[in-house]
Amino acid sequence: MANIKKIATDGVITNNPTFRLVLGTCPTLALTTMAMNGIGMGAAVTFVLIFSNVIISLLRKVIPDQVRIPAFVLIIATFVTIVRLLLDKLLPDIYESLGLYLPLIVVNCIILARAESFASKNTVFASALDGLFTGIGFTLALTLMGAFREILGSGAIFGVSLWDFKIEFFSSSAGAFFTYALFIALFSLVMSAVEKRKRAKQSLPLTEVK
Amino acid sequence: MKANKIFGSLWFKCIAVLLVISCVAGGLLAILNDVLYVSAEERSARAIKKIYGKEMAYSIVLDVDSDNDDINEQIKYDNLGSINKIFTITNGDSEDILFQTTGEGGYKGTVTVWTQVNVNGNKYDIVKVVLESFTKETLMSKLSSSFFNNFCLTDVTADYNAGKDFTPYANENGFTNVATGATKSSNAGCNAVNCVLKYLREGGQNG
Repeated sequence: MANIKKIATDGVITNNPTFRLVLGTCPTLALTTMAMNGIGMGAAVTFVLIFSNVIISLLRKVIPDQVRIPAFVLIIATFVTIVRLLLDKLLPDIYESLGLYLPLIVVNCIILARAESFASKNTVFASALDGLFTGIGFTLALTLMGAFREILGSGAIFGVSLWDFKIEFFSSSAGAFFTYALFIALFSLVMSAVEKRKRAKQSLPLTEVK
Repeated sequence: MKANKIFGSLWFKCIAVLLVISCVAGGLLAILNDVLYVSAEERSARAIKKIYGKEMAYSIVLDVDSDNDDINEQIKYDNLGSINKIFTITNGDSEDILFQTTGEGGYKGTVTVWTQVNVNGNKYDIVKVVLESFTKETLMSKLSSSFFNNFCLTDVTADYNAGKDFTPYANENGFTNVATGATKSSNAGCNAVNCVLKYLREGGQNG
């Protein structure tokens, strides 16, 4: 149970792939013009993460160390192709809006990093959970950034118009970099405040003893 | 003995593992590709739904993606572009013709648009022009929906329109439709709609 909690907090907060590890930057910058894009991309990456982690974990004792990277890429590419086929058939609007960034999930650092550092060394269940929570962390980050940019850049949220006021800068590439930097700074600020508080709590019993 | 050595070697294991993964993945994808295949007809129905906002009954006049050789021959116009798809759609009491055309003359690339033309007797009106895709056009963000709206409600059969084309450059032989800062791309956009004008005029001439 404690292990599940650690995997969950690692994936979503402590090692958030977008705001802490700064992985998957390409789709983060390009697709966060709308909150819906964040959910679509996040869901696609989560699907690939879960299934590739499970298969890699299952085959971790079979795949020789020398060919582990090509084997991982083969497995990841298979699931990315499945996601593409599914989205094209069932959710064509999301498929179109994600465009080129959907096949590029194959080379997304987050997936290869989780395969190499976690799935190839842990059990199937733990790997599936790691995929799920890392995916949730990525989805949340992209959706938050997408919502922020959509509200300020288009005056809308999830495609629903809120007001006429808009700052077009936030819809541009420069706005993407600015928003990303802002969110990383805010996230780091909150994390360091939490860590400080945690450290203060840990040192409290010693003070009481004195 | 020698065979045992080969089968037990590391390089054999590496190749075998990669081969097995490839074969299983390939087989799985082949099955899924068959199950989740999106046909040309389904894509056309989707495109029509996107333009009209609802599903419409249509018949195919031309579709380059179709397997039927009778209707899949692309219509090409020199220096303008090509017509890839033509559908006729019953829209209430009137009939629409929907074109998918690709205009040339852009910034070393092309612009593909859907053009909805309403047929009212012998009168043809352009109702809607929607961007479908583009290639090698870096300034397409300058061509907003307002640029494409400029093509609308043009009676392409009227005398004053005869022989005139849309052009991004001001001259007496054409209707100027320019997007500032993206003249080349707007030229390709204009040419895509000009393919429709040419088709309708030639169709009119041929009866």
